[in-house]
Amino acid sequence: MSDALSEIRPYVEAFKRRGSSGEPAWLSARREGAMKRFAELGFPSRRQEAWRFTNLQSLQKASFPPADDAAAIESSDLAPWRFPGEAHRLVLVNGRFSPELSAIGALPKGVTLASTAQTLKQRPDLLESALRETDTIGGQPFVSLNAALFEDGFVLALEAGAALDRPVEIVHFGQGGQRSCHLRNLVLLGPGSRAALIESYAGTGNYWTNAAGVIGLAKGARLAHVKLQDEGEAAIHLAQNRIVIGRDARYESFVLTLGAKLSRHDSQARLEGEGAACYLNGAFLLRGAQEATNVTFADHAAPRGTTHELFKGVADGSAHGAFLGAIAVRPQAQKTDAHMLNKNLLLSPRASIDTKPELDILADDVKCGHGATVGDLDDAALFYLESRGIPVPEARQMLIAAFAADALDRIENASLREFLDVHLQRWLAGRAS
Amino acid sequence: MLEIKGLHARIADGREILKGVDLDVKAGEVHAIMGPNGSGKSTLAGVLTGKPGYTVTQGRVLYQGSDLLTLAPDERARAGVFLAFQYPVEIPGVNNMYFLRAALNATRKQRGEAELDAGQFLKAVRAKLKLLDIGEDLLQRGVNVGFSGGEKKRNEIFQMAMLEPKLAILDETDSGLDIDALQTVAKGINALRGPDRAVLLITHYQRLLDHVVPDRVHVLSGGRIAKSGGKELALELEKSGYAAFGDAA
Repeated sequence: MSDALSEIRPYVEAFKRRGSSGEPAWLSARREGAMKRFAELGFPSRRQEAWRFTNLQSLQKASFPPADDAAAIESSDLAPWRFPGEAHRLVLVNGRFSPELSAIGALPKGVTLASTAQTLKQRPDLLESALRETDTIGGQPFVSLNAALFEDGFVLALEAGAALDRPVEIVHFGQGGQRSCHLRNLVLLGPGSRAALIESYAGTGNYWTNAAGVIGLAKGARLAHVKLQDEGEAAIHLAQNRIVIGRDARYESFVLTLGAKLSRHDSQARLEGEGAACYLNGAFLLRGAQEATNVTFADHAAPRGTTHELFKGVADGSAHGAFLGAIAVRPQAQKTDAHMLNKNLLLSPRASIDTKPELDILADDVKCGHGATVGDLDDAALFYLESRGIPVPEARQMLIAAFAADALDRIENASLREFLDVHLQRWLAGRAS
Repeated sequence: MLEIKGLHARIADGREILKGVDLDVKAGEVHAIMGPNGSGKSTLAGVLTGKPGYTVTQGRVLYQGSDLLTLAPDERARAGVFLAFQYPVEIPGVNNMYFLRAALNATRKQRGEAELDAGQFLKAVRAKLKLLDIGEDLLQRGVNVGFSGGEKKRNEIFQMAMLEPKLAILDETDSGLDIDALQTVAKGINALRGPDRAVLLITHYQRLLDHVVPDRVHVLSGGRIAKSGGKELALELEKSGYAAFGDAA
């Protein structure tokens, strides 16, 4: 008990120090409630099913008070992660908006792209309604902690029918040691609107990124969303996105996990409107002693919904990966088409991957399936490549790339796919050296 | 080119499959290895190319005068040994062109030749495709993915044509082919023949030998070369079968 108390103390104290000057009363009240909830929940334990495969030791053993210093980041520091095409770019450093590094550019009519702090000043209504689903209930301690401590993040809002030609690019860069960055992100797509969103996370040092996002797609809206988690090798990255998909709306996501010593990405999607479509894809490539968990939950609450999921995992060294995927089909969600597949590749005898796909189906007229595999590189394929003179390291790399690229192929938007592919290739090149 | 002396080899479960194979293949020659099922033909191909799962317990293999068995499979390939697989492997996600260019450049690098860029490579590819009557679309797919049985075998011959090995070992490349595909395969092999190259044709049937006339024919039975002769031996076997060599089939 005293351990649990000492673990949360730095955060409780940071919250007390923070104060709430100048914030709307509703927000202060919510922060209070969220902090209380975090104090009640404490850090998750591995006895909880949702956290069974995630070893949080490195987070629990040290304290990570919220970052309050702006890091000195040059534009060139961000170069490796920058999207090469034209984009509306919003950059955050150590949890705060950096106007100097951002290049939002001219936005079409009906589109808002701004930092969360700015939006709180200018459009508090946007956030108040979106954050109405309170973060003080449920069992997500890090989301509660985020709700209590967040300073900034990004807000992307599209009015009905608005469309973005260029993708929105969000880059978060963490720097320095033993600090936490609590990002609160919001994506609201009005009826029939369309956007493509790239989120990249990178940095140096042993900071902790704790991101919480709310993503809402109204009727007929469409969002292509890719996330690159390429945090520094000593960093910790925890993120949860809550996604609500309306009637005939389509959410397509891909999460590429490459960085951080400890990471977890959690997508909680609710298919609320009839005919909603949800594509949750991703790949995690781990080496050294990296620890990464990917969690997905697709909750079919309306008829004729579609969920397609493909996650590919690769673990080398003594890395450990985990995939926890769940699809729920409620009684009213007839004609649901849901499929989930998780395939994993172990490159070393010390690497391990846990996989747990689950279906919970309460409707009778549905098409649902799931599958999971964990294996080594195919010896027959490896010998075939070798027998043509391709050296073993190169042959292995070709097979690993092919394994992971199969998941990337699910990204429809070619520029988004190529962006992630460059980073995938970078990971593979690093493997050979 | 290839000298095999008293070669013994086991498979993973410990069974001895090769029990003293002797074979001498000179540059410029085509040798056919025939024999009943289970006589060790594929094991011989596997051992020569370094396929995992075989243990050589006795004997030696010299390739161009030096020990072949100490080389890793990729080193053997770059030294000019090629295996046309009986069952070519499907490799989803690895583009056929990309794969072949990597293979060709690995060998060129070894020989101290400049690597081919995409343009030069494509030019070389087109010339060989024409020779072997293979559609260019095949190259844009994953290695052997979705290929018919005949396409897979043609792809093996196409790779051989591109890599221009010194010693080509063809493991039942003729099995399951219709007459058109068989002729294409034969054309590919005949095009490769030359004074500084050798071919080892492993086959169960005589029909490929109508199109590729061998210098020597050997019968592998019970893990040894039981009989050797000229091309007429294949015709004899076609009539009498392998019964004399212990195969009921």
